[in-house]
Amino acid sequence: MSGLTGSDDVPEGEPLLEVRNLCKYFDNDGGLFGGMTLDSEFPFVERNPSNVRAVEDVSFDIKKGETLGLVGESGCGKSTLARTVLRLLKPTSGSVYFKGEDLATISGEPLRQKRQDMQMIFQDPQSSLDPRMKVGPIVEEPMQAHGMLDDEGREARAKELLEKVGLDPQHYNRYPHAFSGGQRQRVNLARALSVNPDFIVCDEPVSALDVSIQAQVLNTMQELQDEFDLTYLFIAHDLSVIRHISDRVAVMYLGQMVELADKEELFENPQHPYTQALLDAIPVPDPRSDGRTALLTGDVPSPIDPPSGCRFRTRCPVLIQPEAFEMTDAEWSNVLAFQRAVKRRAFETTDRTEIRRRYFDDATPGGDAGTLIDEALGHIAAEEWGDAERLLTESFADASVCATEEPAYEVAPEYGDGRHYTACHRTRDAAIAADAAAKLNAVETPHAGGDVRADD
Amino acid sequence: MSEPLLSVENLKTQFFTEDGTVRAVDGISFDVYEGEIVGLVGESGAGKSVATSSLLRLVDSPGEIVGGEITFKGETIFGLEEGADGEPRPRDEMLSEEEMREQIRGREIAIIFQDPMESLNPVFTVGGQLREFIEINRDLSADEAKEEAIEMLREVGIPAPESRYDEYPHQFSGGMRQRVLIAMALACQPDLIIADEPTTALDVTVEGQILEMVTDLQEKYDTSFIWVTHDMSVVAEICDRVNVMYLGEIIEHSEVDDLFYDTKHPYTQALLDSMPRPDETVHELDPIKGVMPEAINPPSGCRFHSRCPDAREVCREVHPEARNLAADGEPKHSAACVKYDAFEVGYDESRPIETEATGGFSAGLTETEAEE
Repeated sequence: MSGLTGSDDVPEGEPLLEVRNLCKYFDNDGGLFGGMTLDSEFPFVERNPSNVRAVEDVSFDIKKGETLGLVGESGCGKSTLARTVLRLLKPTSGSVYFKGEDLATISGEPLRQKRQDMQMIFQDPQSSLDPRMKVGPIVEEPMQAHGMLDDEGREARAKELLEKVGLDPQHYNRYPHAFSGGQRQRVNLARALSVNPDFIVCDEPVSALDVSIQAQVLNTMQELQDEFDLTYLFIAHDLSVIRHISDRVAVMYLGQMVELADKEELFENPQHPYTQALLDAIPVPDPRSDGRTALLTGDVPSPIDPPSGCRFRTRCPVLIQPEAFEMTDAEWSNVLAFQRAVKRRAFETTDRTEIRRRYFDDATPGGDAGTLIDEALGHIAAEEWGDAERLLTESFADASVCATEEPAYEVAPEYGDGRHYTACHRTRDAAIAADAAAKLNAVETPHAGGDVRADD
Repeated sequence: MSEPLLSVENLKTQFFTEDGTVRAVDGISFDVYEGEIVGLVGESGAGKSVATSSLLRLVDSPGEIVGGEITFKGETIFGLEEGADGEPRPRDEMLSEEEMREQIRGREIAIIFQDPMESLNPVFTVGGQLREFIEINRDLSADEAKEEAIEMLREVGIPAPESRYDEYPHQFSGGMRQRVLIAMALACQPDLIIADEPTTALDVTVEGQILEMVTDLQEKYDTSFIWVTHDMSVVAEICDRVNVMYLGEIIEHSEVDDLFYDTKHPYTQALLDSMPRPDETVHELDPIKGVMPEAINPPSGCRFHSRCPDAREVCREVHPEARNLAADGEPKHSAACVKYDAFEVGYDESRPIETEATGGFSAGLTETEAEE
């Protein structure tokens, strides 16, 4: 492209974007009833002044020229993170360094200028294009906003870009409604590319498309990345798509990053139980495969009041046993299953023997744990579900190290040589070993600035 | 084999619009037997949803079922005969609108729609809606219906059903709402449930939970399902037999294992090739060229020929009806592609054609400008 490359280029492989301890909370102080307080006796209406902690303490790097995949279930904060990174939302705390400059501290015109280097592609190809504008002007608009080229130059560039993304330059004068979903997404691509950005955030760009069209668009995105030397932050909930397009993958759960590693490493050697559960849940297009195994139970907790310690602990199938007990694995998992069943009120019976048969048939814990279970069964027999729930949660789930400490470890990768960050206490021993090995290495090779924290 | 539970013969549904007639469903035939899950797969615009709505006669103006036979447990849901004036008219034994409403919909054939938010009324409690449905369809008293409703909620895995009974749809997550709809569909223990992309809007983890639950419940109640989806992985996971739709037609039908391991139709093959795999890293995807043409003016001959890698001259001229290609004694495996010998239209001698659609536009464009 004709002399439009930026001057302050970051060399290939160096961090283009560095995110440090980024937090984004949404409060409900604003809005129509924002300043209003209510008497506690006021009937029917409740106002909860607490924050939604959409993104909390997230740190990562994106290297120049790579694609970082970001996965997670709906509502885990993926889109909020992306918007905060682009500074479309003001972060509550933390920093976003883009080419060395902290976006969190700038605003106004300097920020607007920066936007030329960062673009975004949205999920819904229907609503992200103005239906009353022709495709050509849509693609030209960002160039106009940034004062690039003259009218003729812009038109020529728009046509060239339309061709690059696989459309016909003749479609310059068509309206978005004349295009199919896949083609609209290509128009979105052309628009993002028009100002010659270095970094594009793709927020679920292919989720709304049919599989056959999805493959076309993904291929085009990869070709464009090679041609224009682009860096992508690629958000998706579909792990197959992520595996196809990413170089490194980050997994988010409830506003926090739980695992970050090279693609092969993450898919072949996942360390965090949540990542493992996500991977197990992917359907394989093969009737002879075993299907999905070990599905997660329960729902994602509310980000208004997230669980302490590891946020995944309320659904984690391998929660660590509190140190106070000495149960076997089978006994502990029975206790865990029972505690969650009580919490969910998943059964009706209050009969001790019936419950024991259902939850503790193969392994009944003895000692202190046995006494506590007995007490809880007593509460249930007396229909005091709330008491039983409280007792079980306090003595078992909340006593685990997973509830008392926030995990953050780095383990040695089995595939490739990228760094592997995981937020799970079960990897503590591996992390300590990896850390020791790294220290040994560090004597020979100086340690590069880290994008992840290691506690131990 | 026993009699099919539901049998569809040559069903045609058309929409009469100002721009012309849209042949959304154009002569599809399939059977559903007791206790099986039959898949209906295709991309958006293939006519899957119109086909399922037609089964319950829920197609509204300007749409109309214009031909074919739908038989359910010996009852004629739709059937035409030639009237005295030569015009087709409904046969006498065809169920009236009232009979459909009172006997079939909900009681015998239930339907689960894709969007769980749209399918529940936001101003009534979840429990209330479920209770009302049970009360009306099963002639229970309000109290009994409420008990049954709570039992159903527990059955589909809603935590603390007694307290959630009084909550509103917005207080439920997407997966929970879909569970409520499944509870509603199962509540009258229908013989057939039509599931129209019920897990498409959900996360994989939730989708997994729901599919697992459906398989369990299906075994328990021995309900048949028609599972509409665009996701081949879901098909692989739960379906027994599959129908692949393209532009209003069923172009391939087989048992699920054969569909993946002995794929006959080029479209099915292309669909499978274009999917990224979760279990291995694929470097270059092999997408299907172009987009699905409009149903208002489908291509001549084989409707897939404009995007087909195996297309030849003859494909443009001959419109293939699906034929059974399986050997004698094997389960039925039909496909509508003339490249198989069974069609005998001279495919081998025919000249290959360039597939037209490359960027999604097929006609009426001048040459593209030279690159700079």
